[in-house]
Amino acid sequence: MSTQSSRFEFDPGFEDDRLRVAWYAVVGVFVAVGAYATYLRITGGMATTNLTSIVPWGAWVAFYIYFVGLSAGAFLVSTMANVFEVEGMHRIDRDALFAAIISMAVALLFVWIDLGRMDRMYFPFIWRQLTSALSWEVHAYVAYIGILVTELYFSMRIDLARIAQRTSGLRQTFYAALALGRLDTSEGSQSFDQRWLKRAGIVGIPLAIFMVHGGTGVLFAVSKARPYWNSGLFPVIFVISALLSGTALVMVVYVLRTRLFDGDSVDPDLLDRLAQLLIGFIIVDAALTAIETFIAIASVHPHEIETWQVIMYGPMSWSFWWFMIGFSWVFPMVLLSKRSWRRTPAVMVLTGLSVVIGIIAVRFNIVVPAQVMPVMEGLPHGSYFPTLVEWGTSVGMIGVGLLLYTLGAETLPLTPLTGGDH
Amino acid sequence: MSTTDDNTLPGIPNVGKADLDAMVENERPDPREELADVEADTDLGIAMAEDAQRVARGELSGDEYWEKYDEAAGAEFGEAYQETPNPAVDAGDQTVSTETAESLSCAVGSMDTVATESAQVEGEEPDGGIGAGDEKWGMVIDLQKCVGCDSCTVACKSENRTPPGVSYNVVMEEEHGEFPNVTRTNVPRPCMQCDNPPCVQVCPVSATYKMDDGVVNIDYDRCIGCRYCIIACPYGARYFDFGENYDDEVDEAGEVTSPEYGVDRGPREEGKSPIGNIRKCSFCTHRLERGEEPACVETCVGDARNMGDLENPDSDVAQMANSSRAFQLKEDEGTDPNVYYLK
Ligand code: SF4
Ligand code: SF4
Repeated sequence: MSTQSSRFEFDPGFEDDRLRVAWYAVVGVFVAVGAYATYLRITGGMATTNLTSIVPWGAWVAFYIYFVGLSAGAFLVSTMANVFEVEGMHRIDRDALFAAIISMAVALLFVWIDLGRMDRMYFPFIWRQLTSALSWEVHAYVAYIGILVTELYFSMRIDLARIAQRTSGLRQTFYAALALGRLDTSEGSQSFDQRWLKRAGIVGIPLAIFMVHGGTGVLFAVSKARPYWNSGLFPVIFVISALLSGTALVMVVYVLRTRLFDGDSVDPDLLDRLAQLLIGFIIVDAALTAIETFIAIASVHPHEIETWQVIMYGPMSWSFWWFMIGFSWVFPMVLLSKRSWRRTPAVMVLTGLSVVIGIIAVRFNIVVPAQVMPVMEGLPHGSYFPTLVEWGTSVGMIGVGLLLYTLGAETLPLTPLTGGDH
Repeated sequence: MSTTDDNTLPGIPNVGKADLDAMVENERPDPREELADVEADTDLGIAMAEDAQRVARGELSGDEYWEKYDEAAGAEFGEAYQETPNPAVDAGDQTVSTETAESLSCAVGSMDTVATESAQVEGEEPDGGIGAGDEKWGMVIDLQKCVGCDSCTVACKSENRTPPGVSYNVVMEEEHGEFPNVTRTNVPRPCMQCDNPPCVQVCPVSATYKMDDGVVNIDYDRCIGCRYCIIACPYGARYFDFGENYDDEVDEAGEVTSPEYGVDRGPREEGKSPIGNIRKCSFCTHRLERGEEPACVETCVGDARNMGDLENPDSDVAQMANSSRAFQLKEDEGTDPNVYYLK
C-alpha cells in the first residue's frame, strides 16, 4: 500500500484557497438570487413570466434545450476516449462525463420549473402518449442519465478504490461506497471496467444522438403548425450545435480544472485536438444553418420568410448577429485560426466561453421567433422577453449546476490518478 | 322594513304594493281546479298545501306537519310515497328532525342522494359518461351571415367563465385588397375539434384526448401544463390559464365556474386546476349533454352558427357541411376539423 500512496497523488479541490472562497461566494449569490426568484415563481405562478398563450415557450425552454445540448455534446466528446479510443483523449473522459451529468440535471430543473403544474412533474411516468415526442424524451432523459452515471462509475471506479484503500474512517467509507464496494485494483478488474465502460458508451451514443438531442430537435420539428421548425434538417443542426457547445464546454472545463484544481500544466496537443474538433463543428454548423436558411427563404413560404425577418431584423436581431453569428462562429473561428493560439490555454478558454455563451442565443433564436408569427392570419402577433423572475430562476439553476460541479470536482478523482492515457 | 307604500324614493313612481299583491293573487291558479285534474285526493292536497304554507310562515313545525300527514300520504300515494325520501330531509336546511324523519313511513335520505343515484343509473347505460353520445358533433359557420359582432366571443366568455387572456372563441378579422377596393371577412374561430388533432398527438400524459362524440377533451386533473399542445395546434385555439382573474371588474368573479367537460370544480382558487393548465373550447359539452346548443350558437345575432350531428345525413349541419360552399380552415394540415365554414 505504501508504494501505491507514493505513486498516486490525490488532492482534489482548489489549489488556491482565496480563489475557492471567491468562487463559492459567486456561486452562492447565483443560488440565492435563484432561490428568491423561484419563491416568486412558485407563489405567483406562471403569471410571473412574460409568457402568453401566443408565445407559450420562452427562456426556460431555451435553456432546457441548451443544457440538453451541452450534455449530449460533452458526452459525445467522452466517447472519443472510451469508445473510439482516440489517442490522448482519456485525460478528459471523466471531465466530459461529469459535465454531461450536471448539464442534464440542470436541463431537467428547467423543464420542471417550466411546467404549469410543477407538482405534477412525475405524471409523464404514470401516463404516456406513444405519439408524443415529449413523452419519449422524458424517458430517454432518464435512460441517458443512467448511462452517464454508469459510464462515470466504470471510468472512475478503480481510482475510487485506490483512494479508499489509502484513506480511513469516514472518507474511506465514502469512497468505498462510491465504488459500490468493488475495491479490487488489479489489472483484471481494470480491464473489466474498461470493457463495460465501452459497452455503456456504445449504447449511449445512439441514445444521445437520436433520442436525447436529436429527439429534442424532433420535438420541435414535428410541429407542422410552425413551418420554421418543421424541417428534416432541424434535428441534425440540433445535434451539430450540441457537439459544438459540448466540445467548447469540455475544453473550458479541462483547462480550468487542470490549472486551478490540479495545478498542472495543460497538454498543448490535447488542447489543439479539441480546438480542431471545434473548427470542424463550427464549419458544419454554419454550413447546415446556411442551407436551412436558404431552403426556408427559397420556399417563399410567407411564414418562413417572416420568421427569418424577425430573426434577422426584428427587435431581437442583436442576439442573432452578435451572439449567434459573432460569439458562436466568427469570434471563435478567428481565435482558432492560428496554431499557436490553439495551444495557448488562455486563448482557448476565451474561445470556449465565447461558444458556450453564443449557443445560448442559438437556442433562444430557435424557440422564440417561430412563435412570434401567428399560426393564422388574423390572430395577434406575439412578443417576448423574459421577466426578471425568469432570468433570476435561470441564473439560480445554472448556479446549482456550477455548485454541484464544483463540489464534485473537489471530491472526485476526475483526473485519472495514473495521469493521461492508460 | 321600509317597504311601505308611503316610503317612496324621489323620482321613483309609486307602484301600489297592495295592487301588485292583488295581481299575483289574481293570477294564482285555483288550487281546487288544479287538483281536480290529478288522480290524488283533492281535499288532502289542499290541506297539505295550506299547512305547508303555515310551516313556511313558522306557525307550524316541520315535525308536526309530517306526523299529521304521514299516514294519509302513505294511504294515498302508497309505494310512490314510501320509497321516495322525505323532501324535508336535506343536508343544508332540514325542516324536520332526524327522529321524526325516521319514524315516518317514507324512505329516509336526502333528495341529493336520490339525484345522485338516478344519475348513476343513467351513467350505467352503454359506455356512459361525458362525451359518449352517439352524435358526432360538428359546427357550421356561415361567413355570409357573420356580421363580426363578437357576440359569440362574449357569450362564450360568460358561459365558460374564462379568465383574462383565455378566449375559447375569437373572431378573426381579415381585410383584403387595397383601398378603395377592400373587402372584409370575419372568421369566428372556436376549437376545430379536429378529427386528427395534433394537440392530442403531442400531449405527453394523454391529458387531452378525443371523446366518442368527436369533442377533444382536456383532463384538468392530469394536464401538467407543459404547453406543447399550444405549440402544436395549427389554429391557435389553445390557451394557458395563468391564474388571472376579473376580480377588479366583478366582485367574486371566481365564485362560479362552468362545469366544463361535465366536471364541476367549484370556485376558482389559486393553485387549483384549471389554473396552470391548458384551456380551450369544448363545444360547450356540458350544454350539449343536457340537450342545449353551445352558448355561441344560441346567441349568434346573424344565425351564422349551427351545431348538430355530422353523422346524421338529415341534420342541417351535415347538409351544410356537404354543400359546395363548405370548407375547413387549413385543410392541407390534415387535421380534418369538425368545424366547417360556408363561403
Ligand atoms: S383546433 Fe387545435 S386544440 Fe382544437 S382539436 Fe384541433 S389541434 Fe386541438
Ligand atoms: S399542456 Fe397539458 S394538455 Fe397540453 S400537452 Fe401539456 S400536459 Fe397535455
